[in-house]
Amino acid sequence: MRANKGFYGEYGGQFVPEILMPALDELEEAYRAFAADDSSMQEFHRYLSEYAGRPTPVYHSKNISAACGFELYLKREDLLHTGAHKVNNTIGQALLAKFMGKKRIIAETGAGQHGVATATAAALFGLKCRVYMGSVDIERQMPNVKKMELLGAEVFPVDDGLRTLKDAISAALKDWVTNVIDTHYLLGTVAGPHPFPEMVAFFHAVTGTEARGYFTTKGALPDYVVACVGGGSNAMGIFQGFLDDPGVTLVGVEAGGRSLAPGGNAATLTLGTPGIFQGALSYLLQNDSGQVVDVHSVSAGLDYPGIGPQHGYLKDAGRVRYTSVSDDQALSAFHELVRREGIIPALESSHALAWALDNAGELRGKRVLVNLSGRGDKDLGIIEQQNGVKR
Amino acid sequence: MKGIYLVGCYPDADTFTRSFAAVAEAGFDFLEVGIPFNDPIADGPVIAGAIHESLARGVSPSHVMENIESLSHIPIKKYAMTYANIIHAYGIPEFSKRMTGLLEGVIIPDIPNRMARLFREKGFSLPIVPFATLETRESDMAMLNESESNIIYFVGVRGITGSKSDFTTPELVEKIRMIKDNTDKKVIIGFGIKTGSDARQACALGDGYVVGTEAVMRQKKPEALKAYLRSLI
Repeated sequence: MRANKGFYGEYGGQFVPEILMPALDELEEAYRAFAADDSSMQEFHRYLSEYAGRPTPVYHSKNISAACGFELYLKREDLLHTGAHKVNNTIGQALLAKFMGKKRIIAETGAGQHGVATATAAALFGLKCRVYMGSVDIERQMPNVKKMELLGAEVFPVDDGLRTLKDAISAALKDWVTNVIDTHYLLGTVAGPHPFPEMVAFFHAVTGTEARGYFTTKGALPDYVVACVGGGSNAMGIFQGFLDDPGVTLVGVEAGGRSLAPGGNAATLTLGTPGIFQGALSYLLQNDSGQVVDVHSVSAGLDYPGIGPQHGYLKDAGRVRYTSVSDDQALSAFHELVRREGIIPALESSHALAWALDNAGELRGKRVLVNLSGRGDKDLGIIEQQNGVKR
Repeated sequence: MKGIYLVGCYPDADTFTRSFAAVAEAGFDFLEVGIPFNDPIADGPVIAGAIHESLARGVSPSHVMENIESLSHIPIKKYAMTYANIIHAYGIPEFSKRMTGLLEGVIIPDIPNRMARLFREKGFSLPIVPFATLETRESDMAMLNESESNIIYFVGVRGITGSKSDFTTPELVEKIRMIKDNTDKKVIIGFGIKTGSDARQACALGDGYVVGTEAVMRQKKPEALKAYLRSLI
């Protein structure tokens, strides 16, 4: 999805300190050259296939389909190297960083999946790497912290604000402002200033292309494509394969958390209003005076008060339906997939699955593709804790 | 032109008013009043800390705007410094209308010069102070000169508020010269001024300076602030 002068309709833009503008211009120019360069694209796709494990399969989930009365298909991004779709973007941007001659990359991470994927790409391409992570997230996603450190990245704890993803992005932006000459900011989602939303969506487009290819081969497109939405990267990845197919209903599922009251969720598109935050004008969870409100989700990858500008545009255009499911719904979908199909999904992806399982009436007899964006090993601590609470 | 930044209504409206008056009495030319936003991406720990403390006490942008209105009789030029979303949420034309006649302009760290145009198109009629930085290219100068502001805010560091500028580096000296050669506006140096010696160097290189972090650190102690202000002049 290409931006028009950095905007998607009214959303997007470059709301960052002036000192970053030349870096954003340099990045946009390099990205356009990189994307247009056949040998760079071949190298990117070679790493995706030989290193990361693309294409990922689409699995027809027979047991759940039989139980729920619709045909459930899972796009198995959880099978990728590092355990989530994030690696598409980190390989792409790390290659781009080298292409630009940058020696150091920084990243933010919430659940740690983007951090691990960034640390992995840094190890692979010999780049210095620092990952900003809220100290609350460090606590709840320790296995990923250990992986990043093993991979040679420095995990930098952020103790500001709620000490989660939003605060990690702020800290990374502050680092970038300071070290803009030798550093590339490897932003992990379709948010932030232009060209990040367009570029990150471009590197993830492969998910949608593969998924569409699978259904084209079978002779019929899915009726529904469902993805969870935090910042919005996996959803943009898969939606892009179907945006021009009006017969395919696209559903973005946000974190409804423990309540739909302010502070109890991260359902930005469902409950937010347009605002300017961390580089872009998009939907934002904010109070009347424009302060960003606290967010909550059981899933560390979804608790973000902002959202990529493409999603704001797609919401207003009516092309994507955005909705939310609660922590409990997501947890119950998690267990359902584990027990019925032997797949341990990430809590993020469990939100998408939960929406499908809880809307079986509407979906009866339909082909429903859920983007299983990541695997759930990283969430075992949270699951154990939740089980403890229930007992 | 010598200026001081203070976080609005911090640590409370009365103390802020006294600090405000002290800055005017000490002979400064302008005062920047910070209107708090809770994701201040350009601010270091001191200013961000003061902002969060204010917000936790229930200070809202409207309170700070009322405070600015109540101080209009104090003879010093006034600017507001806040983030884009505060103005967006208040209403872009509404904010501008309410503050017209009170402010010389606004400084919005997450509105780069290119995006200022967008605010103007949406009805923001107060001058938006353009930024120059160590990364500013000669080709950027036309856009800076488009602004109705009569000052340019030069960010003297690669970094956030509270960093330290080094006025001896040829890079900084040459960049300020390039900017001055390409504009009729006054070039005010911000970010990184801490001592009287920094202030004098900034005046020698540019047309003035603004001090933020060091002043905010003393906002709770008006006497210490007064002594500090004297050390700058």
